[in-house]
Amino acid sequence: MASSLREKQILALKRMLNFNVPATKATTTEPQWKVLVYDRFGQDIISPLLTVKELRDMGVTLHLKLHSERDPIPDVPAIYFVMPTDDNIRRIGQDFQSQLYETYYLNFISAISRQRLEEIASAAIHSNCVSQVSKVFDQYLNFISLEDDMFTLRHQDRDSISYYALNKGDVKDTEIEHIMDTVVDSLFSVFVTLGTVPIIRCPRGNAAEMVAEKLDKKLRENIRDARSSFFTSDNIQAGQFSFQRPLLVLLDRNLDLATMLHHTWTYQALSHDVFDLQLNRVDIEESVESRTPAGGVVKKKKTYDLQPFDKFWQAQKGSPFPAVAEAVQVELDSYRTQEGEVKKLKAAMGIEGEDESAISMLSDHTAKLTSTVSSLPELLERKRLIDQHTNIATALLEQIKARKLDVYFETEEKLMGKSVLDQSLMDMINDHECGTPQDKVRLFIIALLCGPPMSDAEIDQYLIALTGANCDTSALSYIRKWKAYTKMTAAPSQYAGGGTKTVGMFSKLMNQGSQFLMEGVKNLVIKKHNLPATRVVDALMDMKSLQDVDDFRYFDPKLLRSDSSGIPRNKSPFQEAYVFMVGGGNYIEYQNLVDYAKNKSNAGAPRKVVYGCSDLTSATQFLKQLERLGSEN
Amino acid sequence: MIARRRRTNSGSDSKQNGISSQTSQTFVSEVLLDTDMSCRDRTNEFFSAAKLLQSRQGNGALAQKRNPALRQRSEFTQIAKKIGRDLANTFAKLEKLTMLAKKKSLFDDKPVEIQELTYIINQDIQGLNKQIAQLQQVARSHPNARHVQSHSNSVVVSLQSKLATMSNDFKQVLEVRTENLKHQKTRRDQFSESPSNTTYSNHSSVLFQDEMNHSQGATGGADVVINMDGLDKNRFQQQMQLVDQQDDYIQDRADTMKNIESTIVELGGIFTQLAHMVKEQEEIVHRIDSNTDDAVMNVEAAHSEILKYFQSVTSNRWLMIKIFAVLILFFIIFVVFMA
Repeated sequence: MASSLREKQILALKRMLNFNVPATKATTTEPQWKVLVYDRFGQDIISPLLTVKELRDMGVTLHLKLHSERDPIPDVPAIYFVMPTDDNIRRIGQDFQSQLYETYYLNFISAISRQRLEEIASAAIHSNCVSQVSKVFDQYLNFISLEDDMFTLRHQDRDSISYYALNKGDVKDTEIEHIMDTVVDSLFSVFVTLGTVPIIRCPRGNAAEMVAEKLDKKLRENIRDARSSFFTSDNIQAGQFSFQRPLLVLLDRNLDLATMLHHTWTYQALSHDVFDLQLNRVDIEESVESRTPAGGVVKKKKTYDLQPFDKFWQAQKGSPFPAVAEAVQVELDSYRTQEGEVKKLKAAMGIEGEDESAISMLSDHTAKLTSTVSSLPELLERKRLIDQHTNIATALLEQIKARKLDVYFETEEKLMGKSVLDQSLMDMINDHECGTPQDKVRLFIIALLCGPPMSDAEIDQYLIALTGANCDTSALSYIRKWKAYTKMTAAPSQYAGGGTKTVGMFSKLMNQGSQFLMEGVKNLVIKKHNLPATRVVDALMDMKSLQDVDDFRYFDPKLLRSDSSGIPRNKSPFQEAYVFMVGGGNYIEYQNLVDYAKNKSNAGAPRKVVYGCSDLTSATQFLKQLERLGSEN
Repeated sequence: MIARRRRTNSGSDSKQNGISSQTSQTFVSEVLLDTDMSCRDRTNEFFSAAKLLQSRQGNGALAQKRNPALRQRSEFTQIAKKIGRDLANTFAKLEKLTMLAKKKSLFDDKPVEIQELTYIINQDIQGLNKQIAQLQQVARSHPNARHVQSHSNSVVVSLQSKLATMSNDFKQVLEVRTENLKHQKTRRDQFSESPSNTTYSNHSSVLFQDEMNHSQGATGGADVVINMDGLDKNRFQQQMQLVDQQDDYIQDRADTMKNIESTIVELGGIFTQLAHMVKEQEEIVHRIDSNTDDAVMNVEAAHSEILKYFQSVTSNRWLMIKIFAVLILFFIIFVVFMA
């Protein structure tokens, strides 16, 4: 049985592709060809989990989008994996009408309502193919798992549930209601897939509380409905591991805006910040010297997949960038030695031809050759991965040098840690060499949120400087309003313990051999510190009493009577937590939580923390949302 | 046998996932449980809804009569199905052979069965290869719509790759078998005075039996020339040893030849493997959304083109309006002042 959320989702998908029969050993059974039809939600869910080759192995010959032109293939069964939206249902009806496939297996990503089911039924009756519809399933897979311990809800349609959508001035109640329903539906899918009922904690008086209430209600209804509950056998199953139930911490983005705008220094988060990592795939524009008659530099776009089975990525995604550069170098060296061995073998084979002892040596060498050839695909794969990471790292380094991201990172960490700055903010803003206008705005917002309090006159002064540096200051007006509204007086103290230290000359010398000329980029090492979200999670898991956590609400969907007292009944610490950010999240928080869980586990208290967010927003996108908010008001 | 194999597999799976030592029984039940939990079967609900709607519409009887007849399956699908079934059967046979070949015991060896199975599987693989080629022919002979074409293509490719993995497995099994045979031989040699060698020397001694008897007779006949006889015998034995040595040498040569032969076969295998590898490299990395990005890019390009056109059209329109305005102005001026 799969343990992580990602593995469970893969298992569920494979079962679906196997016509909803539990998968057995694929080789011993007769293959069944089928066509997979999905909409864009289905595509987002499947694409980070299964490659085309895996789909082929499952017998999927064609994978097509629901809304694309599709030719009829009369003698194949088709598996549909779509959202139950009106649009999709109409299209399925058209498919029935034009008799595209032999049989239809309809799988809906989230539960289909009775009314829509009837619509499909009537469409099937009209085109006379009721008997061709062989299965109708609700899959409850309405989320995208990107890592073993990370999931997000939407990718393509994510603007509808972003921070902007939640906080814009003229938002209607129905819109908010709709967003909440979407989020709750997805979270419900997550816990159905996990097969456990969580204990929910959330802060009072914001979007997270609404989500918590709705989710509590939904889980409660499902548990009470004994006939079709997903959780009846919950106890038996959970009992095999522990008697523990997971904790679901629902947090609102307003808890911590600074992290979203922070410049970061770890590999994965940098890729997301600089190159906009999307669904575990990163696009990099490389300038390639081409031999066109014009002699110009052609921008070539390259795409790299960063899959969890990539061991290097798995090991290094949380490391600070200089460490990654070193690791790439080490990896490259070990690959070179392997390649050298292969070459040596080749040379040995060539010489040995005329030798007397050739015959006796031959058998020995062919055995070696066989093993080499069988290890060749592995070697090729490794080469591909190393190339990929070399390219990404080089591109990252270029960006870091161009925008002086290391300086920003250091300054922001100092601001968050309330230590003295080397360089005044004004200097950085006025320095034209230093970063893009957006970087400057991000820096100033963080200074405003976490730095020492500023008077209005000071802020106006900075505003003038920022405008002088071509910055769009509309985001700032929103932040000022937001700050006045929330009166987050305690905010600065939340980041206590941050800061970095520059590793001295010694390690710089070590780096000189590296192919990535790190000169001019400070070798920064992150000191461990917890972001606000992590601190809240820590307090809730360990049942510590912390001032901001004390008034968190408590929901236990398993209890018969819902009590609104909000007093936690469970006094033992939790071992498993699901942290969910309403209104967008990013890789910095994810990395921070992963580090926290690792530290705790090393200290002898096993912890498992899974991070989820309504959508993954990079700092640039988030700043755009803030700008829109600022310019609207 | 297969059942037992599967059980061990499932056992190892469950162990991998952190559940310590479970029987297959609980594992299976768990899988079923899992199925029930994370998705919901609403087929019955769908059918009841359909029935309800049908009766409400009142043309239920008519629809029932025109129950869609099972469409005639195309030739292609039938062949593909048959090949798939045959492949599965051959796989089962191969599994059986693997079980047999992996046995290391000296006494429980079933050479006849193995030989037979090997032969059958060999035949099967060749037959399947032919069938797949035929299937390809069928797929090519019917010019079809784009999607049907790519569907049949990928069916053929996946069948081929399955066959390739199977023949690879088969080869490996045979290698294991040869390895085992070698082991058995060395062990037998160790414990039972090298049976092959003894037969060999017996055989060689048969050739020289005559002479042996002769010489023995000679020793029995004349006692006087013991010295000479001894010498003669000595010489004879030397000769025999020489022949023996020669035989050993020839045997060695034969062994080496065999080795070389097998090496060459192995090399051939390597080359086919290489060819296969090159082909496979293409598919491994693709994800389902890879081509959509291109589509998005094209759509965006088209959009920007349309925008450009729109802009040019609007600017033209403004120009026209301006010109007309000027013309009308002049016309009015002309009419008012000139007329």
